[in-house]
Amino acid sequence: MMRQILKWINERWPLETVIRATLEEEIVGGSRYAYTLGSALFIVFVLQAASGVLQLFFYVPTVDHAYDSISFLRTRVPFGWLIHGLHYWGGNIMIVLVAMHMARVFIWGAYKTPRELTWLMGVTLLLTTMVFSFTGAPLHWDQRGYWAGEVGTSIAGTAPVVGDLMKRFLRGGEEMGQLTLSRFFAVHTMLLPAALVTLFGIHITAMRRFGSVGPWDEAKRRTSGPFWPDQVYKDAVSGTLVLFLLISLSVFLPPAYSGPADVLDTSYIPKPGWNFLFLYQALKYFQGVLEPVGTVGVPTVLVLLMIALPFVDRTPQRDPFKRPVAMFCGLLFAGAVVGLTIIGYLSPGVAEAPIVSSGNASDQAKQTAVTAADRQGDARKGSEVFKSSGCSGCHRAGGEGGTIGPELSGKTLSGRDRQWLTDQIRNPRSHFPNTIMPPYTGLSGQEASDLVDYLLSLAGASSGSSARTPSQAPREAQPAKSMAIESRDTQFIRERQPGPAAYVIGSADHGEELFKKNCSSCHGAGGTGNVRNPGSDEGTVPPLHPIDRELYSADAQQFAENIDKYVQHGSTPAGSNPALSMPAFGDTNSLTQQELAGLEAYVLRLNGVERGQLVNPGMTPRKFFVLAAVLYAVLFLVQGGLRFRKNIP
Amino acid sequence: MDERSRPAPEQAEMQRRGFLKWLVSGLAVINSLILGIPFVGTLLSSTATRGKAAWSRVGVVDKLPVGAPVEVRFQSSGTEAYYHRSDLNSVWVIMRGPGDVTVFSPICTHLGCHFTWNRQHGRFECPCHASVFALDGTVLYGPAPRRLDTLPAKIENNVLYVEYKRFQVGTPEKKVI
Repeated sequence: MMRQILKWINERWPLETVIRATLEEEIVGGSRYAYTLGSALFIVFVLQAASGVLQLFFYVPTVDHAYDSISFLRTRVPFGWLIHGLHYWGGNIMIVLVAMHMARVFIWGAYKTPRELTWLMGVTLLLTTMVFSFTGAPLHWDQRGYWAGEVGTSIAGTAPVVGDLMKRFLRGGEEMGQLTLSRFFAVHTMLLPAALVTLFGIHITAMRRFGSVGPWDEAKRRTSGPFWPDQVYKDAVSGTLVLFLLISLSVFLPPAYSGPADVLDTSYIPKPGWNFLFLYQALKYFQGVLEPVGTVGVPTVLVLLMIALPFVDRTPQRDPFKRPVAMFCGLLFAGAVVGLTIIGYLSPGVAEAPIVSSGNASDQAKQTAVTAADRQGDARKGSEVFKSSGCSGCHRAGGEGGTIGPELSGKTLSGRDRQWLTDQIRNPRSHFPNTIMPPYTGLSGQEASDLVDYLLSLAGASSGSSARTPSQAPREAQPAKSMAIESRDTQFIRERQPGPAAYVIGSADHGEELFKKNCSSCHGAGGTGNVRNPGSDEGTVPPLHPIDRELYSADAQQFAENIDKYVQHGSTPAGSNPALSMPAFGDTNSLTQQELAGLEAYVLRLNGVERGQLVNPGMTPRKFFVLAAVLYAVLFLVQGGLRFRKNIP
Repeated sequence: MDERSRPAPEQAEMQRRGFLKWLVSGLAVINSLILGIPFVGTLLSSTATRGKAAWSRVGVVDKLPVGAPVEVRFQSSGTEAYYHRSDLNSVWVIMRGPGDVTVFSPICTHLGCHFTWNRQHGRFECPCHASVFALDGTVLYGPAPRRLDTLPAKIENNVLYVEYKRFQVGTPEKKVI
């Protein structure tokens, strides 16, 4: 039956000829594991295509739902975690394999005449893979992908003459947005796969035209071995090892949730993916007018070097031990890329910037110190106290912080002296009987005076010479505060529903940072509580670790909804006159919804619940891993037994 | 080892190749199983999320007429895959007396069309395949496999709350989706 069907097909289409042409090849020197890198790449590409298409069944390329659709795939679709994990790690492994494959080809001298075109197609395939990687990350529309896209498109924008045009082409406008996402989506899922398949076709036919290059040792070249089944077997083993590695990575190192893209978030330090770190690091050495040299010049030179290689190195010698210059240059090239990658990985990103700005604050403090007669504190330290004690949770200062309390600037602080500010920090109700600001009695004398100095530096920074009289300022500060209370209370009554943040899987790591800044002053470090709250029935601020049993739920979604109501709308503890009450971080826009999602993920983690917990995994990752490992082990044992019994080497 | 028990070199080579071919197929089968089952499973298995139906506030009942069905629309927050939004739903409400209420899902049990109330004949009619239901929801004519689906309802402080659900259509038994 089968034979008849094949016969029928062969009479109409050269199936047998095609199969024979594919499989029948004599490899000079015989099959080798070193030759399996190319086919491993092919296998990973097929896997990327399959997992990519499967992701398309769930993913939407829109800025408001791209992130949630991937979260949904990962947590609520059976085996969604596997599909996403394989695609994520497959993309990374592909670049590693391309590098290894090219290194192999370089050492074997396989780029030399007549195989130049195979090498050139290989270079274009490398570039295609890099563009795949670049356009893939922003599709997630998470912090990592968004900022990688933002920086990457900005880099394109620094190119001389065509920079602006290129940036606009990539972004679909002036800014990153929906059109950018649509473009990256179209390129990543339509153009690049088509390009890769075409280039791969040329690459493989060019390779087959002259066959595998074989060993450089003349003695070894006298023998040969068949492609099928010898080399195919080795390819299958390598491919299986790569697949098993990908499964292991997906099970034990699932991609981290970096939180949904947040344009307003200034605390996120964008860094490119590891495969672009060498360019990112090289970029740092070229500043000012030289910047385009780093952004465009370096990558262009690298690509040109690779393209020029087979035309510059024209000797027929292939033995690496007899090509010292080529080997030295190759090592230099690889060393530079790897070295820059490591330096880039270890560098703290653009974190240098905030240090510079706090230095400015201390300069301002020095200036105001001349007028503020007695200078006992340190404004720079005070700025740290301002952030770490939770002041920035409610007050905006120097462009950062919440909006529950009045912004602290020359406008609201002018005319305030050291004593007044100290009283305000220690006992706010001595000035404003109805204020919701808690008394910061826990600060040490030094911390308080540092803080006062910081506030005085803010007052001096923008007020100029026309200082207001003390009697004028309270009237101005007071309405802002009472308005905040009013809007908070009405919101509180009107809405008790969870907000958007409750349905988003935030980054717990980022949440931890936010918690230190905004929450730990009242809930204690790590949410352990024990912070006094005079006037409340409980006497202390409720701890978040462990959290109230009524709020806790083993179901991450339910847990997030439970706490989101408080984070969004705030709450006032029961009691005659509580000194501290929970601010409405969501309703007042003190924190973005993305930040709230991060905070919630952190509070969940404190209580032993992962925000990205697998709700519907199909099979738990570990169980799947064990099952796969057992299957491979059984095959390994069976083939070993057969080899032994049938006496096959 | 006896010389004769050793196969001829050519035969040994054939055996070795045969074995490699077998191994390649073995690896191919195992890898296809390890990837194929989850990949197909992803597309075939249910991704139903937790079916937590909540009480939705439908409206104040003293404005509703007694004995006659009224179609009432109301907002309810719902979750579909990764969308969280408030949906506009509608139900048929029949007040039978103070505190006594019947609420029908607006979806015909046959194939899922929205039925209407024929005031003249005092019956529900489905415009798609002409199923006809009585005021109490029983099937009078047509292809509908079961009576109209009732929804859990309660009245508190003169406000009607409904637990909105959807049911499988085309089956004789009422099954929540």
